[in-house]
Amino acid sequence: MMALAAPDIERDQQVSPSVPWQTVVWDDPVNLMSYVVRVFREYFGFSREVATARMLEVHHDGHAVVAEGAREQMELHAQAMHDYGLWATVRKAPQ
Amino acid sequence: MTHVIFTLTRVEAAHLTDLVEQFQELVSEPVGDPALERLTPDVYPDDAEASSEFRQVTRADLLSRRAHDAATVADDLGRVEDASVSDALSPVDISIADLDPWLRTLSALRLVLASRLGISDGDEHDDDDPAYGLYEWLGYRLEGLVQVAEQDEG
Repeated sequence: MMALAAPDIERDQQVSPSVPWQTVVWDDPVNLMSYVVRVFREYFGFSREVATARMLEVHHDGHAVVAEGAREQMELHAQAMHDYGLWATVRKAPQ
Repeated sequence: MTHVIFTLTRVEAAHLTDLVEQFQELVSEPVGDPALERLTPDVYPDDAEASSEFRQVTRADLLSRRAHDAATVADDLGRVEDASVSDALSPVDISIADLDPWLRTLSALRLVLASRLGISDGDEHDDDDPAYGLYEWLGYRLEGLVQVAEQDEG
């Protein structure tokens, strides 16, 4: 099973081994701004200032990168955001 | 975390109990409800296969955490003793040992109502729709709980 599933991913990683993955939180018309700040502080341990800046980025730009690193870690972060009801996705960092 | 006392009117507590019960049913029998899609969104929007794989691995766990949160909220609400209808507007204190399940559940209830009302699609909503009133009320109460949580942590 490994041999069937792995090649694409391995090839990707060989081409650009240093490109990190990102967890991205997207704007939605439902979640309260104060709640999003609270989630960022609680889960990522951001200061109030950083959490507020990320929240405003989501609000004004439509999305914000809240974490960067290994793919599995970004998937865990996205799952945690989903637990809080935030709309989060995972992507490869744009080159 | 310090203990929080959340004060609602009895009629609010009754409404909330009802909503939480419905939410518990929704997450325990996940069958093709658009509101559930919003609770478990695609993690790879450009890669349907990877998204579906991720969802298969994680969705049941996510929904069971939702159910667990909702059960905590239902337990807290369940400690409110019954009162007669004439007491509907009298205040009642709900004792909350852990705020996070409350914050997550009230947010999730709003997402579900928003999905029903079409708010998540940016559609027009009807201000006279009673569900919209519930949605706004939940936002007001959630805002209050977030403020309590923030004060608690300085």
